[in-house]
Amino acid sequence: MALLYVALGTIFGFILSRSGAADYNYIQAMFLFTNFQLYGIIGTAVAITAPGIWWIKRHGRTVLGRPIAIELKPRHRGNIVGGLLFGIGWSMAGMCPGPIFVNIGEGKIYALAALAGALAGAGLFGAVYTRIQSVFRLPRLLVGTGDG
Amino acid sequence: MPLILHGLSPLHWAVAGAGIALITLALLFVANRRLGISTGLEDVCSFVLPVPYFARDAVRSARKWRLPFIVGLVLGGHLSAFLGGGFAPTWDLGIFDQVIGLGHAGKLAWMFAGGLFIGFGTRLAGGCTSGHGIFGVSNFELPSLISTVSFMAGGILTTQLIYRVIFHIGS
Repeated sequence: MALLYVALGTIFGFILSRSGAADYNYIQAMFLFTNFQLYGIIGTAVAITAPGIWWIKRHGRTVLGRPIAIELKPRHRGNIVGGLLFGIGWSMAGMCPGPIFVNIGEGKIYALAALAGALAGAGLFGAVYTRIQSVFRLPRLLVGTGDG
Repeated sequence: MPLILHGLSPLHWAVAGAGIALITLALLFVANRRLGISTGLEDVCSFVLPVPYFARDAVRSARKWRLPFIVGLVLGGHLSAFLGGGFAPTWDLGIFDQVIGLGHAGKLAWMFAGGLFIGFGTRLAGGCTSGHGIFGVSNFELPSLISTVSFMAGGILTTQLIYRVIFHIGS
């Protein structure tokens, strides 16, 4: 299965690379409303994915016959505050998380610094989770054994 | 508008959007996985940071698909550069170079700072453009809609502040 994920990731990365989604100028143009390429991409993706998910859920099973299980994301105050912070970073770097990796593959040297920052930011969040949990009403942690 | 990468012409938005949708649906229909990339940052952290947040079941159980997918993203970018004119490491950053400038060290510092916001913000929001913006919105999940509106607002405010208010560019 790992090879399947690598293959899907490769196609996804190629599309991000060639569509403008991993391009600093296109990200700024989207936020400046001077170019609508990325709005078109997100809109098209949602317009096709939404009925697709609906059909797959109605079908109820994967290709291999396992029951479809979609883990839902929790709602809390972090959705708004975290979203705003991520938006600042998206604008500054001109990359959201997927394109950080795509830009590294393309050979954009500065993307390595963006990755280092993103890992540090995620690490920081994990380290302070229990301290900011009540402020943002974040869910309790379900800690496992690592076998999953 | 050409891409920074070799000045290539981009794919048509409808083609790119359809391709992203097909990958998202394939992940769900074949592998029972919801698309989401920023959680991959946690997967990497979980190898080195011994705190409870990174020992969650949700992190540990997803490492074996998300990490190969991320390796694919790097390969996809590499393939795109290779086929589009050859792989050549670059510092080019489009209008940033024309308007803001900064040397190599300054650019690295800027990117690291942006990365901090991306890493902390996506984890606090519980997802990024892929997990919230594409999958969550397509699955009509309210937290994803709230997060998506929030990160679009954060990006619009920041870019407008930098390029229109501070540097006064017209287009």
